[in-house]
Amino acid sequence: MPRAVNYKANSIVYFEGDKNENIYILQGGAVMLRSYDLENGQEIQDYIKTGEFFGVKSALGRFPKEETAQVVKDSTILVMSVPEFEALALKNSRIIIKMLKVFSNQLRRIHKQVRNLLSSNRQPVDSESGLYKIGEYYLKNRKYEKAKYVFDRYIEYYPDGMFSRKASEYSYEASECMKGKAPKSEIMQSKDVADYDSMEQDVSELTKKYFQGVSLFNQEKFEQALKVFREVNSEGVESEYGVKSISDIGKCYFALKKWDECIKQYTFMIQKFPKHPDLVEALLYVGNCYKEKGVVDKAAGFYKKILIMAKKDSQIYRKADKALKSLQERQNEA
Amino acid sequence: MKLDMEKFGKFAVRFEPGQMIFAEHEPGNSFFFVQSGRVQIVKILDDIEKNIDILQPGEIFGEMAILEEEPRSASAVALDKCVLLEFTRENFEIIMAGYPQMALKLLKTFTKRIYDQKRCFLTLTLDDEPAKVADVFLMLAENLMRDSAEGVVGYPRVEFKASIEDIAHWAGMSVNKCREILNHLASQRKIEIYADKIVVTNINDMSRYVKSKRNQQK
Repeated sequence: MPRAVNYKANSIVYFEGDKNENIYILQGGAVMLRSYDLENGQEIQDYIKTGEFFGVKSALGRFPKEETAQVVKDSTILVMSVPEFEALALKNSRIIIKMLKVFSNQLRRIHKQVRNLLSSNRQPVDSESGLYKIGEYYLKNRKYEKAKYVFDRYIEYYPDGMFSRKASEYSYEASECMKGKAPKSEIMQSKDVADYDSMEQDVSELTKKYFQGVSLFNQEKFEQALKVFREVNSEGVESEYGVKSISDIGKCYFALKKWDECIKQYTFMIQKFPKHPDLVEALLYVGNCYKEKGVVDKAAGFYKKILIMAKKDSQIYRKADKALKSLQERQNEA
Repeated sequence: MKLDMEKFGKFAVRFEPGQMIFAEHEPGNSFFFVQSGRVQIVKILDDIEKNIDILQPGEIFGEMAILEEEPRSASAVALDKCVLLEFTRENFEIIMAGYPQMALKLLKTFTKRIYDQKRCFLTLTLDDEPAKVADVFLMLAENLMRDSAEGVVGYPRVEFKASIEDIAHWAGMSVNKCREILNHLASQRKIEIYADKIVVTNINDMSRYVKSKRNQQK
C-alpha cells in the first residue's frame, strides 16, 4: 500500500546516487529537485507541483537516483513501490501518457546531445549510400534474401537515386540467386567472397575457376563450360563450388541436348545431395529431358513432384505447372 | 509479457527466420513489440556484420522512430519464426491510451534508453582518449552489475563479452584508434584481450583512473 509520509522543511527525501526503488507523489507542500546539467555542469532546480510524481525514472529503470530531492516547506509525500505504481498507472493510463511525453522529450534531447558529440569525431554517413552499401554487403556475402530486401527498399525510397540502376540490377540478380542460379556480377566474384567463406587459398582458385565456367556458360560456350565445371567438381569434391558444379554440369548437358547424360547427372545429384540448393531445379531439368525424349509419364511424374515441393508463387512452380499442362494438352490431342 | 492477440491481432506482422524486418539507414516510422520469436539487431561495421543485441518476446525495438524522423540506426532480422506487433507514429497515441500495458512497457524502455544515452554522453565528454575507453568498461560493468542479482564473479576482475569494435562504437572513435589504446592498456596489464572477450584485471583501478582524469578536466 502506498503510504503518506510527512517531511519537515529542509529535509531530504533522497540524495543523488541513492539506490532506492521508491516512487513519490507530492500531496501537499513544496519539493525541489536539484541536478546538474550534463553539458555545462550548472545546477538545475526543478520545483515539483502538488500532484506530480518524482523519482520515477530511476525506480523504473532500476538505477541510482539522478537528482537530490529536497523538501522546501513542510510537505506530505505519498511513497510507493514500483509494483504499486504500475497497478496505479495501468488503471489510469493518462499518467503513463503524460510521462511518456516527458520522457520522450528527454530522450530526444539527450539523443541529440550525444549525436552532436559523436559527429565531431566521426564522419556522418548519408542514408542513401548507407542503405545501398548494406545491400552490396549482403549480396557479396550471398545473403540473397536480405540483399533483395535492401535493394528493393532502396528503389522504393530513392527511385531516381544515384544507385537506382545498380540497385535494380542487383535486386534481380539476388532473386535469381535465391532460385539457385549461379551469381553473375563482378561484385560477387570479387575476392571478398572467398575471404568471407574463410576457406584456404586453393579454394579461392577453385572459386575463380567456377566463375570462369559460369561465364563460359553465359556465353553459350557449353562444351567449354562443361569441361571447366567437371574440373571444378573433381578438384573440389567436398567444397562449396565442387558441390555446386554438379548441378552446372547437368545444365551444360541439357544445353547440349544430351538428355541421357543430363538425367544421369541429376539423378546422381538428387541421390547423393538431397539437400542441394538446386534440387528442385534438378527435378525440372530431368522432367524436361524426359519430355524431350517423349517419355511423357516420367516427365509428368517429375513435374508433379515439383508442384509438391516448390512454393506456390515461385517461378519454378509456375514453370512446372505450365510444362505439366502442356504435356496433358498434348496427350489429349493425341 | 505477451499481449492479447484478440485486441492486438490487427497489428500483427509475421516474419520467417532470416527475414529482414528493417535495414539500417532505412527511414523509420513504426516501432515493434516482440510477441513471439527472437529478433536479432545487427550493424555492418567495417564490412563485418556485427550482432548488437538479441531481443526476446516482450521487448520493444525501433522506438526512436516515433520520436523523430530519423533513419534506422541498425538492422533488425527475424532469428526465429516471429510474430511482431507493428505500431506507427500515427496510431501511437491511440494505442497508448487504449493499452496501458503497452504504454508502461514503452515507458520502461524509455527510462533505460535515457539512462544509457546519458551514460554514453558522460563518456564522450572525457577529453582523454584512453580515459574514454576505460570509461566504456566502467559503463559495461555497471550494466553487468545491474543485471545480475548475485554480483559479478571474480570481482574486481571483470570479463566482458565485448569486441574491439563494440568498445570503439561506445567510445565514439575509430576501430584502429581503439585497438591502439587497448593494446597499450594490455601492455600495462590493465586488460587482457582474448578472441571472444576482454578482461579488465581490476575494475576498481580503472574507476579510480577515470575519476582522476575527470577531475583534472574540471
